[in-house]
Formats: sequence, structure tokens, C-alpha cells
Amino acid sequence: MNSIERIKAALNFKQPDRVPVIAQVFGHAAILAGVALGDYVRNGELLARCQLQALQFYGYDAVFALMDANVETEAAGSILTYRTDQYPIVKSAVLANGTDLNTLLPPNPWQAGRMPELLKAVRILRQEAGDSVLVVGCVLGPMTLATQLLGIEAALYLAIDEPEQFAHLLGFATKIAMRFGVAQIEAGAHLPMVFEPSASPEVIPAPFYREFVLPYLNQVFTTFKQAGSAANWLHTAGPATPILHLYPQARVDLANIDFCVDPLDAMQALPQTCLNGNIKPLAYVEATPEEIAAESSRLLKLFANRGGFILSSGCEIPPESKPENIAAMVTAACQEK
Amino acid sequence: MNDSMMDLLVKALLDGDQTQAIIEVGKLREAGVRRRQIITDGVEAAMTQLDAKCTVEQFNLLEIMLCGRAATGVMKVLYPLGAPPLQTKAAVVMGTLEGDVHDLGKNILKMVLTAKGYRVVDCGKDCSLERLVDAVEQEAPVAAGISGLITTIIPQVRQMKDKMAERGLGHIKVIAGGAALKQATAESLKVDFIAQSAFDGLHYLDQIVGVRHE
Repeated sequence: MNSIERIKAALNFKQPDRVPVIAQVFGHAAILAGVALGDYVRNGELLARCQLQALQFYGYDAVFALMDANVETEAAGSILTYRTDQYPIVKSAVLANGTDLNTLLPPNPWQAGRMPELLKAVRILRQEAGDSVLVVGCVLGPMTLATQLLGIEAALYLAIDEPEQFAHLLGFATKIAMRFGVAQIEAGAHLPMVFEPSASPEVIPAPFYREFVLPYLNQVFTTFKQAGSAANWLHTAGPATPILHLYPQARVDLANIDFCVDPLDAMQALPQTCLNGNIKPLAYVEATPEEIAAESSRLLKLFANRGGFILSSGCEIPPESKPENIAAMVTAACQEK
Repeated sequence: MNDSMMDLLVKALLDGDQTQAIIEVGKLREAGVRRRQIITDGVEAAMTQLDAKCTVEQFNLLEIMLCGRAATGVMKVLYPLGAPPLQTKAAVVMGTLEGDVHDLGKNILKMVLTAKGYRVVDCGKDCSLERLVDAVEQEAPVAAGISGLITTIIPQVRQMKDKMAERGLGHIKVIAGGAALKQATAESLKVDFIAQSAFDGLHYLDQIVGVRHE
């Protein structure tokens, strides 16, 4: 089996030749290649080259065309500060200065900000590796993008004080996510992962998630499926257990579980949904390869009878991680019988 | 004043209803209730109830933000000139470290601590260690709180105690919190405590203050 076949088998609860392993390597690919993170996130070709080098080095099953969490908000008009060795940060959110949402148009993914560079990265990755390895794009989920467009505190207060206006903002964010994700699929991504950390139960209560977030996520994933996405992958960071059972309502096929989620709880909440996770991200920086191998082995055994599992980190593997730790996870998946 | 009037204030605060909370404060003041009592029996009581409700399994920032905003509104009504609302338990210096701008957790801890009677000196986000240690030196706090969402700030966290010790401030406790730091142990970060939530941080501070008062 190649990586795509292996992942598809896991998604469908069929027997792969081995459990797929997806290291959520984003900025780490730049560090590994000796490239400044500040350059990596602005140059699609460079990003793709670094991802391909990392793929060759580690031999895992997916590559990512993912810059950082600020691509969409920048394309919509937010101002970022770029740093040499770190991800950019939002200097001023587009709606934080009183700009009227009604005057904004969803950005064109082929023209706005760094979106075209990200699409370039997708194209190269698909061309170079996409016949056998999963090429993953990324969009922010509606809730997270709403908090990036307005600022998280203001967005959360708006949700309570002016729910209709907040729904309007979520609708706008949903349009951006759909357009950008569809463009990624058109450029060659097998699927755009939806990154939705602001919808974590640590931030908002589960009923809020059900009422406000779920309908918009459903729109996003329905659109992606219609555009040809191989699977609907949702990544909610943090302790997501209280909302996992709602994922099928959003048509989620693959659910990322963070390190603080008990895999047994996730299995119970999502008996028919493929799961990926959930090694603690900081462990790739601080632990030893032996510890990573042991944790990988524990997870592989835990899911051995169930299937529907992809070995992975709980969230992004930090850029400064030790390569030998990532390699230890990949080796564990390859060697497990 | 009867207890039910104060209960209505506590309920409004727990509902995160700032407007209603301010109305209830107005009624309490008309009934001759002292500001100090409104803080103690209303604002602090609401925070205590919220604390009991927010377990590790059932905890979300939005609910605390709303209660905190309502409590802040009440304090502004009671003390419009910004004078210290009450004799504070102790001062706490806090900041989100350089390179990180995710300060929601810090801001929420600030609201909780303020409502529970601490004086909070907020050094903001993207804050250098030097600035934070300067503030610790100036304010003589009971503790310094540092937060971060991203792992790249960890090397700075590990330097905090040493930098404080260089200025003779090694006895002051350091509390860490935030998504990146919660993955680590206090020992590995060279701090005194890792707060899993805002209320976890509050409990630790109360413990320190309690010990000091004994």
C-alpha cells in the first residue's frame, strides 16, 4: 500500500498494511531544512521544498501546505508582524478598529495576501508527491477565523451581546473558509484540514458549540466534499471530549484528538469516525526517542482491535522538536505488527 | 437589605449579565449596603460559586469572561475614580512572554484575581523577561504569573527564577499557565506552580497568602 491507500483504509476501518502515521510537521520542516520560519511562511515554493525534504527524511504518510493560523485574516485585511524565527502574529485585526463587516468582501484565494503562495505550495506538493502521499491543505474553522478577524475577546463578547451580528461574522468567516478550501482542492490538495482551536470546550461551552459552530462547520465540510475532498478532517485543539459526539453532525470523517483527550473517551464518542492523535506536542521537544516510541506503541495497541486510527501528534509538532523524536514515532508505526 | 437582594446580584454576575448586575448594585446602595460588603458578599461570592462550578472537566473561558466582565462593571460603578476597591490580599505581576501575543488566559486570570481581592499588575503581552522582572522588583508582589500558548517561549520561562534571584527576588513565587506551559511540569520549567486554569492559579495564590498570614 502507498500512503494514500493506507490512510483511506484507516478512514474506512479496513485493514491497512500498517497503521498510517501523520506527523503534524509544519514549521519544523523549515527548521529541519535550515530555512528561516519567516521565509517559509511567505514562500510557497520554499514551503513545498522543505515539506518534501522532511517527507524524505522521516518517511511519514502526509505533507502539509500550511503556513500559520493568520493567512486568512491577513488576506481579509488584518496587519501582521513577521518575525525571522517564529510564526507571524496579528498586529491589528481587520475588524478590531471599527471597520464595518458589511464593507468587507471575502478575499479571492488566487489573489489575496499569501493565499496564492499557499496554493502554489499545494500544486508543487501534489505534483511531486501527491500520487502516493496525502497532500493536506488547511483552513481555519469559522469560529477561529471569526476570532482572528475581530480579536478573540471582542468576538466572544459579541457572540453574547449581539448574537445576530456574531452570526453574520461567522457567516463571513465560513465563506472565506469554503472559498479557500475549495481553491486548495482545485490546486491539488487531497483535503483541507479544518483547524478550529477557538471552538474548543476550553474556550466555549458545548451548547454554544452546538448552536453556533456546528451548522457552519457542516456547511464548510459539505462544500469540501462536493469539491472532491478525500475526507473531512477536523482539528479542535484542547480538551474536546464534550463536543466529540457532535462531530458526525458536521460530517467529520477524521477527528484529531489532542493529548489531553482520553483516547478511550474518543473511541466511545466516535465509534465510526477515524481518529488521529494524540502524543503530547511538547514531548517531541522534551522527551527521549524511547519515550516517544513507548507512547506510540501504547496508542497502537490501544487501537489495534478497533482500527480507524492514524498515529499522530495531538497538535502541531513544535518547530523546535528533536528530529529523533519524530523519527521514533514513524519507526514505531512502521515496526508495529 | 435582605439576603435575596444580594442573591440577585450574585445571580446576575453568574449569568454574566453586566446590565442586571449594575441594576442590582444600585438597589443595594439605595438600601444602604456598604461598597465593601457588596464586593465581599456579591462579587467575591459569585466568583467562589463560579470556581466551584468550573471543574477541570467543565471549564470554559467564555463563562468566566462574562462573569469577570460583569464583576469589573460592578467595581467601576462602586469605585468610579478607580481607587482600590478594598484592601488587597496581595499584588500579583503577570505577563505573556516575548514572542507570544495569546493573552486571553492571562486576561481572564486578571479578572478572577481582581474580583477576589488581589491587585494585579499587568505587563501585557509580548513582554520581555526584563520588563517582567522590573515590575516584580517595583511592585513587591506575592507572585509573578507568566503565560504562553506556544512552546517557543519555554526557554524564557526557565530563566525567570534565575533572573529574579539575580536581583534578590528569588523568594517570590512564579506561576506558569497557558496551553504550551500546561504540558510541562513545574520542575522542568523551573517554576513554582503550573496553573491548569484561572481558578487553579487563584487557589495556589490563596494558599501562599494564607500561609503568609499565619
